[in-house]
Amino acid sequence: MHPRSIFRLIGLLVLFLGLSMALPLLVSLVYKDGSAWAIGYSMVFTCSAGLLMFLAAYGGGLSYLSHRDGVAIVTLGWLAAGGVGAIPFLISGSISQFTDAYFESLSGFTTTGASILSDIEKLPQGILMWRSLTQWLGGMGIIVLSIAILPFLGIGGMQLYKAEIPSPVVDKLKPRISDTAKTLWKVYILITALEVALLVAGGMSLFDAACHTFCTMPTGGFSPKNASIAHYQSPYFDAVIIAFMLLAGINFSLHYRLLRGEGNVFGKDPECRVFLSMVGIFIVLVTFDIYGSVYASLLEAFRYAAFQVTSIITTTGFVTADYDRWPSFSRYLLVLCMFLGGMAGSTGGGMKTMRIMLLAKHAYQEIFRIIHPHAVTTVKLGGRAVPGDILSSIWGFFVLYLGIFVISAMIMSSLGLDLVSAFSSVAACIFNVGPGLGSVGPVQNYLQVPFMGKWVLIFCMLLGRLEIYTVIVLIMPEYWRK
Amino acid sequence: MKIIIVGAGEVGYHIAQKLSEENQDVFLIDKDPEKIRRITENLDVQALLGSGTSPEMLKTSGIKEAEMLVAATDSDEVNLIACLLARNMNPYIVKVARVRNREYLKEKELFSQDLLGVDQIINPESVMVETIRNLMMVPGASDVVDFVEGRVKLIGITIKPDSPFAGRQLLSFKGMEGKVLVGAIVRGEQVFIPHGEDTIRSNDLVYLVVRSDELPHEFGFFNLENSETRRVIVVGAGETGSALASALDETKMNVKILDKDAHKCAALAEKLEKVIVIHGDGTDKSLLQEENIGDVDFLVAVTGDEESNVLISLLAKGLGAKKTITRVNKLSYIPLVSAIGIDTVVSSRLSAIRAILQYIRRGRIISVAPLKGEHAEAIEAEALETSDIVNVPLAKVKFPKGALVGAIVRGDEIIIPRGDSVIKPKDRLIILTVQKVLPKLEKLLTVKLDYF
Repeated sequence: MHPRSIFRLIGLLVLFLGLSMALPLLVSLVYKDGSAWAIGYSMVFTCSAGLLMFLAAYGGGLSYLSHRDGVAIVTLGWLAAGGVGAIPFLISGSISQFTDAYFESLSGFTTTGASILSDIEKLPQGILMWRSLTQWLGGMGIIVLSIAILPFLGIGGMQLYKAEIPSPVVDKLKPRISDTAKTLWKVYILITALEVALLVAGGMSLFDAACHTFCTMPTGGFSPKNASIAHYQSPYFDAVIIAFMLLAGINFSLHYRLLRGEGNVFGKDPECRVFLSMVGIFIVLVTFDIYGSVYASLLEAFRYAAFQVTSIITTTGFVTADYDRWPSFSRYLLVLCMFLGGMAGSTGGGMKTMRIMLLAKHAYQEIFRIIHPHAVTTVKLGGRAVPGDILSSIWGFFVLYLGIFVISAMIMSSLGLDLVSAFSSVAACIFNVGPGLGSVGPVQNYLQVPFMGKWVLIFCMLLGRLEIYTVIVLIMPEYWRK
Repeated sequence: MKIIIVGAGEVGYHIAQKLSEENQDVFLIDKDPEKIRRITENLDVQALLGSGTSPEMLKTSGIKEAEMLVAATDSDEVNLIACLLARNMNPYIVKVARVRNREYLKEKELFSQDLLGVDQIINPESVMVETIRNLMMVPGASDVVDFVEGRVKLIGITIKPDSPFAGRQLLSFKGMEGKVLVGAIVRGEQVFIPHGEDTIRSNDLVYLVVRSDELPHEFGFFNLENSETRRVIVVGAGETGSALASALDETKMNVKILDKDAHKCAALAEKLEKVIVIHGDGTDKSLLQEENIGDVDFLVAVTGDEESNVLISLLAKGLGAKKTITRVNKLSYIPLVSAIGIDTVVSSRLSAIRAILQYIRRGRIISVAPLKGEHAEAIEAEALETSDIVNVPLAKVKFPKGALVGAIVRGDEIIIPRGDSVIKPKDRLIILTVQKVLPKLEKLLTVKLDYF
C-alpha cells in the first residue's frame, strides 16, 4: 500500500473533474441561465481541493503501483467523483439534500441514469449539461482518461486500467496502456461527434443533441427532458439513438478495428454475433407480445419494442414508452435484458454477453462430461481455449452478483418498497440501467425511496460499474492486513 | 520504435521491461500461458501467446511495421528460425539473436546476409568470459566495465565497514580531481548519481571512472590489493568454464580447472596446453585444500548448478581464497547472494541482457552498460557539434538531474572532467545516468532545440 500515491492520484482526479466543469460553465454563460456563478464557484472549489490534495501528498515516487493500490485508487476515486459531481447540484440549489445530490451524481458517473429529479426541465442548462457530462466522463472511465493524459503512470496505469475495466479477458489495443487508453478515448469521441451531428441534422437543438449524446454513448440514460426521448415523438431520433445505443453496447476495440478498415468485424466476432442476435430475438418477442395488446399497428409495436429492448439491454435507460404498463411477459423480458447487459469492453453494464456465453458453454461442458466421462474438453471462445481460472472467476463473479442482488433486494423490501419495485430498483442500479419497474418505473423516479435505500442503491451502482471485485476487495479485512 | 521480442524467459522479460520503461512499443511472444499472464500483469507491453517460429503469430504481432526483432529464447534453433522468418516477412527489420552454441559463433559467414541475415549474434557465455577476465584484471572490484576499447574503466567497489572511505563526504577527497571520479553509488536497491555533498557509507557499491593507465596508482589510494592475479581455479568445465580456461591458457597465469565429469576433463586436457585439468568435485573440501586453495587469487565457480556455485565460493572463501567469482543465473538471487558474503556475481542472463541492450541502443549512443542495481546505466556517446553541451564549461551545461559526465575522450587524450572542463565537438563522452533521465539525456546529446 502506498497511501501517499493513492491520495495524490485521487487529488489529480478531482482536479481533472474540476477542470471539466468548464464546459457546463460555458453553457450556462451562453444561455444566461443564472447558474454560472454556482458552477464557477464549484469549479474553483473542486480545483483547489484537488490541487491541495495533490500537493499535500507531494514527494515519494509514483513509479510503482501495486494491484492493491490500483484497487484503492479506482474505488476511492469513483467515490470522490460522486462527491465532486454533487457539488454543482448543491450549490446551484437544484437539489437540496446531500444524499439526493450524491445519488444523482454517482448515478451519472456510473452511467446508471437513475434520477431523483421529478421536474428535470426546470433545471438551468448549465446544470443539465453537467449532469450529462458526468455520464459521458464515467462511460469510458475517468481513470482510463487519467491514464491517457498522465504520462508518468507507466505500469501503474496497467493496474488502474485492470481495476476500472475488469473485462474477463484483457484486451490491449496497443502495446502500451497509455496508448490503449488514448485510442479508446479517440474512438469514443469520434462516435460521440457523429451522433451529435446526426441528431442536429434531424432538427434537435445543439444543446439537446449534445446532452442526449453524452448520455447515449456511455449507455447512461439521463435526458434533459422529463419524458426522455418520448418528448420528441420522432421516428428519426428513435432510430438514430437505437443505432448509437447498440454501438455503445458493442466492444470498443471492435469499433477501433472497424475504423482501421478491417472489414466485417462485428460479424466475425463470436461475442458480437451472440449479442446482436439476442437483441434481435428480444425485439421480435416483445413486438409480438405488445402487438394488439398495447399497440394496434405492427410497425408501432416494433418501433417501441426495438427502442425499449435496445435501451435496456445496453443498460442505457432512455424510454419512449411506459413499459411498466406492458404485459408481464414483456416486462419479464426487459428485466432479463437488464441482467444480460452489453458486450465486454463496451460502456454497457450488466453481466456482459461474454460472461453469459462462457457460463453457458461451461455448463454445457459439465453435462457433456456426464455423458462422456473420459472426454477431454475445453471451453472455447472464437476458436481459443479459455483457461479454467477465468471460468472460475466468472462463476465467482456470478455468485457475488446474485448474493449482493438478493441481500440488497431484501433490504429494499424491508424498507417498505413493494416486491416488484424492490427487486427492479436493485436490478436497475446494479446493472446500471436506471429506470426499473413499479414505483421506480420509467415515468417515476427515485425521489421517494427512503434515505437508507438510496445509499444501498448508490453502493449497488458503484459495484455494478466497477464489476464487484474492485469494490468488494476493499471492504475485506484481508485487504488491510499487512 | 516497435520491437518484437521472442521468448519471455528471464532474458526476454528483462529486455522487455527495460524497453517498456523507455516507452518503446514492445510485443513479447511466448508459448507459455503462465509467462504471458505474468507479463500482462507486470509489464506495460503487449504479450502474445504463441510460438515465435509461427509465421501466423509473427504476422499478428505486426512484424511488417516492426523495426527490430530480438530472439531471446533458450533454444538456438528457435531463435535462428524466428530471425529467418522475420527476414522473409520484413527485409528491413533488424534482427538480434541469442545463440549459445559456440560452434555457430565460429562460422560467422553462416549467419551473415546470405543465409539467415542475423544482424547481431549475442552469445551470453562469451560475454561472460569477457566479464570474468576483466574482473581478474582489477582484483578487489565487484564490477568492471570497459569503455573506449578498454582505455577507460568503470570500476565498481564495495565499501567495507572498515574502509577509511566509509562515512566520508565526496568533497573531502583532495587530490582526486581530474584523476578519479565517483560516478554512481548503489545503496541497497537504490542507485544515484552523487554530488559533492553526498557521503559514502559502508556496504555501498561505488562506481569509479578511471583511466586504465592510471589504474595502478589509484589502487593504493583506494586500498585495493594491487597484486597481479597469478593463481586461478575454475570450477566447472561446461561451456563457460572451458571457454574461460582456453582464454586463460594464453596468459601467464597459473590456472587449474576442476570438473566432476571425467569425459569432459579428458576432452579439455587434450585441448589445453598449460592449464591443469583436475577431475574431482568442487565441493570437496580436501580436494580444494590439496590444490592449495588458500593461495589462490581467484576462484571462479561456473558449474551448471547455481546453488553449488554459491556453496563452492563460500567454501573457498572459508579456506582462504582471496576472491571468488560466482555464476548465478537467477537474477532475483543476485542481491541475496551478495548479502551472504560472495564478492562478485556474474550471470549469463545479465550478460545477455547487457549485450542485447547495447546493440539496441547503438546509433547516437555508442555503447551502454547497465550498472548493478539495473536502474542506472553508463553510456558512451559522441558529442555532436549541434548539441547544446559543446563549447561550454561543464558546470554551465544543463544536465538533467541524475546524469554526470564521467570522462571525456579527445583523440588520445582522456580527461576526467572537472567543473571547468569543456566538451568539444567529436569528443566521446562517458556518461553515467539513472534510467529515468535517459530520454532527456538522449535529446540533449543530439540537437539544440532551437536549431531547426
